[in-house]
Amino acid sequence: MSEQTVKLELLNPRGMVEAMPVSAPNPRVADLAGKRIGLYWNSKPGLDNFYKVFEELLKERYPTATTTWLRGAFLIRDDDADAWLPQIDTFVYGVGD
Amino acid sequence: MFINCTTFDDDAKSASADNGMPTLRRVKISSEDFYKLRGSVDTVRPLVESVFDDIIDALVKPLTAEESSPPEGKDEKEETAGVTVTAESYPAAAEEFNRVFLDNRWGDGLPMVPPTPERVKWMLSGTKRKPNEVLGKINPKQGTATIEKIAINAVMAGAKPEYLPVIIAVIEAMTDDEFDDLHVLASAGSFNLLTIVSGPIAAEIGMEANIGFMGHGWRANNTIGRAVRLSTLNIGRTWPGKNDMALTGRISPHTFFTFSENADMSPWEPYHTGRGFKAGDSCVTVGSIHGESQLNHFYGGMIGTWTAEGILDRMVEDLVRTGRRGYFMWGTKGVGKYLGSGVGALNHMIILFPELAAEYKKMGFDQKGLQDEVYKRTSIPYDDLNPAERKSLQTAIELGVIPTDRKEVFTTALKTGGRVPVLIAPEDLHFFVAGGAPGCAFSFNYYRIPPYNKTALMTRRITGATLTRAGKLE
Repeated sequence: MSEQTVKLELLNPRGMVEAMPVSAPNPRVADLAGKRIGLYWNSKPGLDNFYKVFEELLKERYPTATTTWLRGAFLIRDDDADAWLPQIDTFVYGVGD
Repeated sequence: MFINCTTFDDDAKSASADNGMPTLRRVKISSEDFYKLRGSVDTVRPLVESVFDDIIDALVKPLTAEESSPPEGKDEKEETAGVTVTAESYPAAAEEFNRVFLDNRWGDGLPMVPPTPERVKWMLSGTKRKPNEVLGKINPKQGTATIEKIAINAVMAGAKPEYLPVIIAVIEAMTDDEFDDLHVLASAGSFNLLTIVSGPIAAEIGMEANIGFMGHGWRANNTIGRAVRLSTLNIGRTWPGKNDMALTGRISPHTFFTFSENADMSPWEPYHTGRGFKAGDSCVTVGSIHGESQLNHFYGGMIGTWTAEGILDRMVEDLVRTGRRGYFMWGTKGVGKYLGSGVGALNHMIILFPELAAEYKKMGFDQKGLQDEVYKRTSIPYDDLNPAERKSLQTAIELGVIPTDRKEVFTTALKTGGRVPVLIAPEDLHFFVAGGAPGCAFSFNYYRIPPYNKTALMTRRITGATLTRAGKLE
């Protein structure tokens, strides 16, 4: 094997990423019976159809559960979140992507 | 819990971690099925049925210990201070360097120049700014952009030290607290970045502004753009199909669209004077633009004859068409934090060739005068609007999507006999002079308010240059 003759020291081009505070998801509800379930939709096409079927299946399995459609921005706005929080017990976030 | 398609699973996982909730529960649905079947309740039903139990489980199944106590994040410092490659010859070492960097996703797919300490020091000789100066963060990972990191990427791009202050100014704009770099760097929409240099530094560093100015063969134009591409890729940590979801990729991906105004042939003051800078300053203007085929051509050139009025007519026609198409979305809050974000009213970056700008000057227009004239000509008779358009515009006033300082203009216009603008303000038209003789006129557009921040159009003065007469200001 030939002797290695060329050595290149190379600087790292990546920027440092600082750690951000980590949060855990909220504890789950034990059962969906009687619960208010939010369905978040950012208006991208097709998720409305997905949610309509989901609502039907949910009603069949949990007749006392209710759903609320939450329609908003790509990233949930703080004021929307504050307004919706008292109205729901748990929620699903779906995007059309 | 979060539902996403399989194509976006890496992106969703990455975004969960980027936003501080790495154990967010996700349910994947097949991209192949969803996009094909989502068009109706009936077609999408089997897909929903197939993941229904998974969604229910995600909502009710108690969190595991790991989900409840996700490990604290660690600063992702450089994995090492650098990398060393050894080989039998320089060509072999260069090849190995390119392999290692690309395997690490530190490259853009084209061969790069090795960023050795000596070469980076040489690059830094182009600025008097300190290597450890922090400019800000680049999305989506919020990587820290320092002068040194930009210099490393500039070396890799093949740039020269005299270009560095221009590259720094672009990154300064993109890391500004109000600039939306996330949408242009990560969106599935294949949006793109336009960088235009104005002022004397452009000619001094050899930027091409004549025939072929958006093309290849111009080291300054091409490597400034490539240094920005590599800096955003490496500092913001994007990768195609992982967290840069541009479906078609971003056209001109290695250099974005990077060129300069043609100061020698322009009859006007540089563009940046309209943005509050002095004519003698050197500046960069950085703007997001729609992707794919969203370049609107107003002609000129050498095949057909043209007149300044004829091109103005085409421009007006295009602005009315694109502006009116968005009316129905003006009356919504938008898709982001700021009113009107990501929908509705547009900004237009319009490139005029020098002969055309000279004709407009003869007609009595400077840039401001042309803005006002085009704004006036693109207004639509109120009586021609349909009820839905009228309602949307009225809602836009009520919601505040139309800003306070423009409210009176629109309130007055929205009456019988009124003329309704298709743009919020004349200042949303941005005229640049570039190209040669013959040349052609065209434009790009983008949302006046982007989805994720206040603006995606920013002009910054170039500072700290050491190797050029221009751009030396602190």
